[in-house]
Amino acid sequence: MIIQVKNLVCRLGDAAVVDDFSMAVDRGEVVVIIGPSGAGKSTFLRCLNAIEEFQAGEIVIDGIRVGKNQKNIHALRLEIGMVFQQFNLFPHLSVINNVMLAQRVVRKRSRAEAEAKGRQLLESVGLGDKIDAYPEQLSGGQKQRVAIARALAMDPRIMLFDEVTSALDPEMIGEVLEVMKNLAAAGMTMIVVSHEIGFAREVANRVIFLDKGKIVEEGPPSSVIDDPREQRTRDFLSKVL
Amino acid sequence: MLSWVAKQIVLYWDIFKYLIPAVPWTALITICAFALALILGLIVGVLRISKIKIVATIAGAYINVIRGVPLLVQIFFIYFGLGSILHLDRFSAGVIAVGICYSAYLAEIFRSGIEAIAHGQYEAAMSLGMTRFQTLRYVIIPQSLRIVIPPVANEFIASLKDSSLVSIIGLRELTRAGREYYSQYFVDFQTWLLVGLIYLTMTISLSRLVKYLEKVYSVAGYGSQKA
Repeated sequence: MIIQVKNLVCRLGDAAVVDDFSMAVDRGEVVVIIGPSGAGKSTFLRCLNAIEEFQAGEIVIDGIRVGKNQKNIHALRLEIGMVFQQFNLFPHLSVINNVMLAQRVVRKRSRAEAEAKGRQLLESVGLGDKIDAYPEQLSGGQKQRVAIARALAMDPRIMLFDEVTSALDPEMIGEVLEVMKNLAAAGMTMIVVSHEIGFAREVANRVIFLDKGKIVEEGPPSSVIDDPREQRTRDFLSKVL
Repeated sequence: MLSWVAKQIVLYWDIFKYLIPAVPWTALITICAFALALILGLIVGVLRISKIKIVATIAGAYINVIRGVPLLVQIFFIYFGLGSILHLDRFSAGVIAVGICYSAYLAEIFRSGIEAIAHGQYEAAMSLGMTRFQTLRYVIIPQSLRIVIPPVANEFIASLKDSSLVSIIGLRELTRAGREYYSQYFVDFQTWLLVGLIYLTMTISLSRLVKYLEKVYSVAGYGSQKA
């Protein structure tokens, strides 16, 4: 078990967005979380690396325990890479510097080392020729691939993807999903919040259908997507498929 | 007619020669005071948005007190009040007074600049394991600085003009030199016209400099300078 979540509760205002949520993820597993908007999918992901404060429960990532007292929060974040719907690239830095910054100031790597790692990762996501460009000069798909390279540069053991294709033009979704597929094939532990049912079917080891902050149904894609037990899952899938 | 024009030219030249040695003092007060204001303003601006309530409150109180008292009164207070205890000379007192006064305005500008950065930038930096300080230092403040260049430049130009208030404690900067010339030769129109023109020359040069800085600090495709 690389991720263990026990009785997690996360409230935004009065509403419990994540309500007494427990789950475990194995090393190398790819978990895709689906569900209607407002189900708490993103909030759950953001709790996992403690970007969102949670009010109760516990998260254990690879032996690092984070309770609601937020101790170990820094060590936790070092294990987890995250990619966002809105990219959140640093607009004042060139592509290579986006990928180098945290390596330099957090991992304390030398400039040469950080740059070599950055170049290699940008090559691997197909952006070897965009190293000196600035984020605003890139397409959405390119931005998102830079964001993935930036997260990977920190050598995380787990990657979180928060609706990373939702803000992209349709023709750019493929290039980002391709990078994610390669990452999954390389054995990365991934939790993916997505509406890409095709991706879930092809890559996920497990699909979780989340609604109103609770797990409604979970299992391999062949059962949750192709043969759902719950009526709510069926209703949702009929809308997105 | 011709002799009148010639006389006027000689008069203006005479005043000009008298005023020019004071210009470096005006420049020096402004630069030193504004450097102080930038450092203090950035610190207070960052403290103003501290998560620690008491720190934010103290920073807020500093801003309100300084902004709420006329600069002239602050100059009197620092030179005659504190100055007699701390043995401040005219120049130090003037620089400290103008510097502190402008730090309050700059703090508010820096605060708004920091708050203008999208929350996603904090989340991205945090998710990469950066501390709050590192996030501010490497991600937020560099972006804020580009946003605040125009309003900060306005304050710089304003502080150049307000440095004339320091003349009241006897420091021989441009305005003081004008008063001294007037009280010796009783030429008022020409003296104050020339003092005004010299200030105007300095402020316009500064505006030009700011335009240039905005260009230098622009990033391709980011902000107002679209690629």
